[in-house]
Amino acid sequence: MFEHNKTAIALLAAALPLALLAALLSGPVSIDFTAALREGWRGDSSDAVILWQLRLPRALLAILVGAALGMGGAAMQGLLRNPLAEPALLGVSSGAALAAILLLYYGLAWHSGWWLPLLSIAGAFIAVLSVWLLAGRGASASRLVLAGVAINAFLSALMALALNYAPSMFAMQEIVFWLLGSLANRGWDQLLLALPFILAGAVLLFGCRQYLRALTLGEASAASLGFSGRRYPLGVLLGIAAAVGAAVAVTGTIGFIGLVVPHLVRPLVRQDPARVLWASALCGALLLLLADILVLNFVGAQELRIGAVTAFIGAPFFFWLIVSARRGGLQ
Amino acid sequence: MPPERARRSGPRRPAPAIGFSVVFVLAIAIQLFCLPALAAQRIASLNVCLDQLLLDWVDHRRIVSVTWLSANPHYRRAPLPEHVTLNRGHAEELLGLRPDLVLAGQYGANRASTRLRELGVRVVTIPDAYNLAQLQQQLRALGEELGLGRELNHQARRFEQLVRQPPAEQPLTAMILSANNLTYGGGMLEHELLELAGFRNLAAEGGQRLQRVMLEQVIAAEPQLLVLYGGEQAFALAHLAARHPVIRRYVDSGRVFILPPELGFCPALVAADVLEALQKKRESLVRTQ
Repeated sequence: MFEHNKTAIALLAAALPLALLAALLSGPVSIDFTAALREGWRGDSSDAVILWQLRLPRALLAILVGAALGMGGAAMQGLLRNPLAEPALLGVSSGAALAAILLLYYGLAWHSGWWLPLLSIAGAFIAVLSVWLLAGRGASASRLVLAGVAINAFLSALMALALNYAPSMFAMQEIVFWLLGSLANRGWDQLLLALPFILAGAVLLFGCRQYLRALTLGEASAASLGFSGRRYPLGVLLGIAAAVGAAVAVTGTIGFIGLVVPHLVRPLVRQDPARVLWASALCGALLLLLADILVLNFVGAQELRIGAVTAFIGAPFFFWLIVSARRGGLQ
Repeated sequence: MPPERARRSGPRRPAPAIGFSVVFVLAIAIQLFCLPALAAQRIASLNVCLDQLLLDWVDHRRIVSVTWLSANPHYRRAPLPEHVTLNRGHAEELLGLRPDLVLAGQYGANRASTRLRELGVRVVTIPDAYNLAQLQQQLRALGEELGLGRELNHQARRFEQLVRQPPAEQPLTAMILSANNLTYGGGMLEHELLELAGFRNLAAEGGQRLQRVMLEQVIAAEPQLLVLYGGEQAFALAHLAARHPVIRRYVDSGRVFILPPELGFCPALVAADVLEALQKKRESLVRTQ
């Protein structure tokens, strides 16, 4: 059985470069792929520009953001020991989106370098810390979720308010774009902005992997194994805030990846919460890339927002999850 | 409507030839001299474009109210006199001002227009302009309502002269990239201005009036001139495409033309200027080739 699971993970890993290739070949324009590839990074022909400056950063951003969301979802579900948890539940996405909106519409311009991801991540951190403080010392997972829902609702209201009074006349319509997420028109600059923060988040979560393992035995058992105190849960939350906050800063909020992916891969890693982090990152990257290929090939220039596509995939899975739980199939 | 009033004041029974001539001369005189006097003296507007046209072309003493949007720097193109009241498109705001003419756009403030009409206020709908024919129609409708003021007359004549110019023999290719990746195809004003200025709009080949275009389609089409919509300096996701690094090579080589934002919400203000500027841009591109 375990061998089968290893094969499945290996297949997922092998599928990623293939999906990347498919993404590079997808688009409304038919390009001479090999010629564009040969021309290289600095190629001046339209095919080379399309390949290197438009398709490649978009596909890599899909991989990066999908990995951050998948990993964030797995960590959140491990921390809260709740199969329905995802980063957005604790206000991570809303905090990042609110900070981005405040920055972009009221303050510095898009080209303000590091300010955008930094403040988005700060927004995600503030949201998570607010949840943490609201839930109180030694809060149970259910109280954390409840505090998350409250903070999330408040942040959503603030976002609507901020956009309502934004100097841009189109800000109100753009809330929809933020809330559905998009990879369209993103380039290398956005990719490079998000990369270090997502990597930092991944490192933080890697540092907390043993804590997530111990937590499966319950909070008391985890404490008896040496994982007492606030350091570990806070580390997980900060890791999630860094990775997901950076992802939201450049693509907007893309839902359901963080919810669905950990469930898909958990059987493949024998329910190990540490391994599920990396498997979720891999599967999240693949899923978002495939969703983007779907958007590019079947929706075209109309550009159905990628969040809508992931919701189309995620919502039926959500139904299945509820039905499974009802039958007692979900532990 | 002033011309109708002029007709109504004419004789109803057949008159002798000399009498007819006198009536004809009188009618012309009324058209030329008396129209502004007969025209409305307390004008209100329920449309941001009509606000700007009124403020730009009509004696400010005749204006009693414009929309609140005209106080917004994004839309304001003419100084806003102190006595002019800002309205938010509610009938009751205008009733108190006792306007003798309310100008409304084709879309928007429909309820207020209907309510005002029901209450006996004269409301005239001025058609919106999405192409040249509609623009000329809009100018005519305004001229009939407001009296052909000097500025309005000048604009109408200038525009007709520009439109009559022969098309360029070897058009250059162009493409418009607007907010939310929109481009303008055949039948749209932006397309017609490009064609009149001697460009071939590549988006017109798609057959649709307004269509979405992905950045890679713009790059693959390789237009000789990339036309962007300007104005909105504040950040918006809608403008991400125009800020993408691949557009820089167009900017760096001077192959970009920025359309003024007025062309989007009130083309009558700037269409003639845009046409002239596009013609000059074409000349400079031809010189550098």
